Amino acid sequence: MKKKFSSLITQLKDELEKCDSLNGLIQLKSNYLGKKGLITLEFNQIKELSGEEKKLIGKELNAIKLEANELINKKDLLIKNLTSKKGKKYFFDVTLPGKNIEIGSRHPITITIELIEEILSSFGFMSVTGPEIESEFFNFEALNIPKNHPARDLHDTFYINEERLLRTHTSSVQIHTMLKTKPPVRIMTPGKVYRCDSDPTHSPMFHQVEGLYVDKDINFCHLRGLLTNFLRKFFDDKKIQIRFRPSYFPFTEPSAEIDIQFKGKWLEVLGCGMVHPNVLKNVKIDPKNYSGFAFGLGVERLAMLKFGISDLKVFFDNDLMFLSQFSNLK
Amino acid sequence: MKLSIKWLKEILPKMPATASLCNKLTSIGLEVASIKKISSDTIIDLEITPNRADCLSVYGISRDLSAAYKTKKLMPKTDKTKIDISKNIIKSINKTISPHYTCLQIDQIDNKVKTPKIIKDRLKACGIKPVNLIVDILNYVMIEIGQPFHAFDKDQLNGKLNVRFSKKNETINGLNDKKYNLEKGIPVISDQKKIHAIAGVIGSKESSITHLSKNIIIECAYFSPSLIRTSSKTYRLQTDSSYRFERGVNPISHEESLRRVIYLLKKFTKFKKIYLSKFPNNKLKQFKGKIIKTDILQFERILGKKINFNNVVNIFKNLEFGVKVSRNKLIIKSPPHRFDIENEYDLIEEFARIIGYEEFPPKELPPVYDKKKINNKDYSLNKITTTLVSKGYHEIKSYSFLPKSYQENFTSKNSIVRISNPISEDKAELRTSLIPSLVRTYKYNANRQCGDLKIFEVGNIYEKINKKLTSEHNHVAGLIAGKKSTLSLKTDSSNYTFFDLKGDLVSILPNLEFEASSKHKFLGDQAAIHQNKKCVGYCGIIAERLIGAESIDEPAFAFEILLSALNFPRNTTYKEISPFPKVKRDLTVLIDDKISGKAIIDIIGKQSYKYLINIKINDVFHDDDNWGKNKKSISIEFQFQKKKSTLLDSEVNDVMDKVINLLQVKFNAQLRTI
Repeated sequence: MKKKFSSLITQLKDELEKCDSLNGLIQLKSNYLGKKGLITLEFNQIKELSGEEKKLIGKELNAIKLEANELINKKDLLIKNLTSKKGKKYFFDVTLPGKNIEIGSRHPITITIELIEEILSSFGFMSVTGPEIESEFFNFEALNIPKNHPARDLHDTFYINEERLLRTHTSSVQIHTMLKTKPPVRIMTPGKVYRCDSDPTHSPMFHQVEGLYVDKDINFCHLRGLLTNFLRKFFDDKKIQIRFRPSYFPFTEPSAEIDIQFKGKWLEVLGCGMVHPNVLKNVKIDPKNYSGFAFGLGVERLAMLKFGISDLKVFFDNDLMFLSQFSNLK
Repeated sequence: MKLSIKWLKEILPKMPATASLCNKLTSIGLEVASIKKISSDTIIDLEITPNRADCLSVYGISRDLSAAYKTKKLMPKTDKTKIDISKNIIKSINKTISPHYTCLQIDQIDNKVKTPKIIKDRLKACGIKPVNLIVDILNYVMIEIGQPFHAFDKDQLNGKLNVRFSKKNETINGLNDKKYNLEKGIPVISDQKKIHAIAGVIGSKESSITHLSKNIIIECAYFSPSLIRTSSKTYRLQTDSSYRFERGVNPISHEESLRRVIYLLKKFTKFKKIYLSKFPNNKLKQFKGKIIKTDILQFERILGKKINFNNVVNIFKNLEFGVKVSRNKLIIKSPPHRFDIENEYDLIEEFARIIGYEEFPPKELPPVYDKKKINNKDYSLNKITTTLVSKGYHEIKSYSFLPKSYQENFTSKNSIVRISNPISEDKAELRTSLIPSLVRTYKYNANRQCGDLKIFEVGNIYEKINKKLTSEHNHVAGLIAGKKSTLSLKTDSSNYTFFDLKGDLVSILPNLEFEASSKHKFLGDQAAIHQNKKCVGYCGIIAERLIGAESIDEPAFAFEILLSALNFPRNTTYKEISPFPKVKRDLTVLIDDKISGKAIIDIIGKQSYKYLINIKINDVFHDDDNWGKNKKSISIEFQFQKKKSTLLDSEVNDVMDKVINLLQVKFNAQLRTI
């Protein structure tokens, strides 16, 4: 008898294992414990047994019934936990889209300016901004570009009136800063600049970050060191090929332009040089005691190289299909 | 400047292969932009910076290369015969225009001879059209040595030449077939009757050299660079001559240049007699060159590297500078063709570029020792943009310009900053608000099936204060339009409303209050945004007129905030949190439609009810059929909590009764039971 009962439990366990729905479980429960269930039938049979035996087997049978109930209840809980309230378990599709997705993006120019600022601030440069509408003095004269100087050809200028213009570079901010602060001056000046120039490679408005470091004993090797490191970090390439070549800017002497090797060609990425002594004199800094360097980065140009953009115009079209490509950048 | 390698090798025979030569040219500051092989020659295009007019010739480039390669150059062959002086060529010279002016008269020249192929080919390779022998030879020598010339047909002149400023109402028929009505005060060359050249820029048609010209006058001059530049700018004429004169031409090479011309003319044609207007003076005071005292320590201070004294001396000698050494000091005299050399920094650059910038080892910057000067960037802008981006806004960057007269309908004409030389009518004035740019960007994207969007921009707006002064303010502005959240499962695909915009603003900035307004001209129904009782910006629906101007179909909502007016609290004081449970109650009342949500919240707030810790409006709706247009249903949520014990139901009921009573008395509100 005992054996028969324990095999009943084993059978129940097997069937429970296979059962994966509440309906199945209800059926199973009635198969064992219902009016005509297997365990109920056993109870019916012991009615015919006599005294002692009836007592003994009845006790065993009660234990079996209790165990069966417990097993079924456990399974019931398990199934209820797994299935939805409706009682049916659906495929849990984690690949469906989340709700209320809103993905914005920062403009690649902002991303580039912030990367430049992040790198330069790690070299101790402080960010300073200034006005976009400037006087001739701050945009040209203080920077050693007198009237009628051929260098003004490089800066086709938008004028507001005879004295005011839209700055052609953020170097004007350097003049404001040097007039206000004594050296050491170690600044970067991000911002919009304007040139009366529009073709596939020029935009009437673009962005620059210029840098300036004036102190005692700052020399050309420092300039080479900083900009070499800067370009390595910006392009995230320690082996990037960089070329410094002599150039001309009225506000630096010696002056240089830096090219990087890009897809088999030398491409100009920035201009720089040692601050011209006339510029230092114009802001009442004695060039005999102080020296320094300055550099100018074209933000769009760097962004084009970094992100593989070939058309300058796309920056200012603000097509969502363009902007959303920059969603997940740092 | 286009350079023929074969021509260069006539002056510098020992040059390396083209590729290596080009690297050297770039490394000494004469950047090679392109290399082109033609049938029998290689032509390289050099970018000559505006300070290096001395390199606008084959000879000038050779001078730099001879210093870089430490090799000798061969001088172009010149005629050595003695030339007579004639007083009948020039009447007067204004020294301000030309401190140094020489003419060569040639009688009975045969100009019907064809120009040799080699000269024609070289001119063409340099972008100059061959014309006739005399003109071609003059152009050839200009490219070779750098001295521009002009030739007059003497038989077309009335008397001697004058170098003078133009008078009122004078004209000239240019070689380019254009007539110029000259302003007063333009440097010109004239005879006794009319003008034959705008000095250094262009000659006249009448006296130009043709195949038939017999008696000619060749002008060889140094003109004031700034005067030539003014003429060139005024008449928008840039010629090979003006380009060189305005940058500065070697003032003391007249004799050499003219003798080179004579040599070539003699070689290719015949003439009878030549005269000079005077013997060229090579010792003019103003062209003696700059004398600069310096020492090696200065070179080392600026360049940051130990420098060999003899190396410096040799480089300057090869560049045709005068060099004197006294003890450890250097006295260097710049040659007259180097207008760019003014001080010792210029000398330092000369030295550095000739040895090559790659010779200077990169060095680390000194550490920042002034702690005060470490970045003091204001990060509140970053906080705003980061939050906007996480709310689904895309940042845009648009031009600061708007089309001509665009803003006149919206803002006072006197406050608009206009560009006096705009690049196009489309970009003629500076924006007084960022909202038009946002609307235009919205339209651009809507036209490309992307009309469901959230965008923002950070940028300056510009205002005219008076005739001279302008002001700039940094703004942040945003626009939302179309349907919500098109990326996700359809949970809510209704259209954006004003309250979505308001919700975004409140999530970005602390302590905002909104008040009905009409001040922002690019917005229609709108609210002024206040922070700490100060107006910081506006938000609302885009103004009808702007929608009309840009022909937008769907409504759009925008905000614009003055960044400098914003305030992010730096600190807050912590309030003890009560451990006892909160009790929430809802109240729905029917109330006059014109009573604002803020009015209701304010009046309840003012009573300072016990245990009431929070009130908020949950829902507002209208039911015209049942209540008419003048009523609305408004649901308010109340939160109660005690600091030191659990709230009793009766305590909450007590306050709620007072609230209901208050709203009935003040606003005639009717309690609605749901």
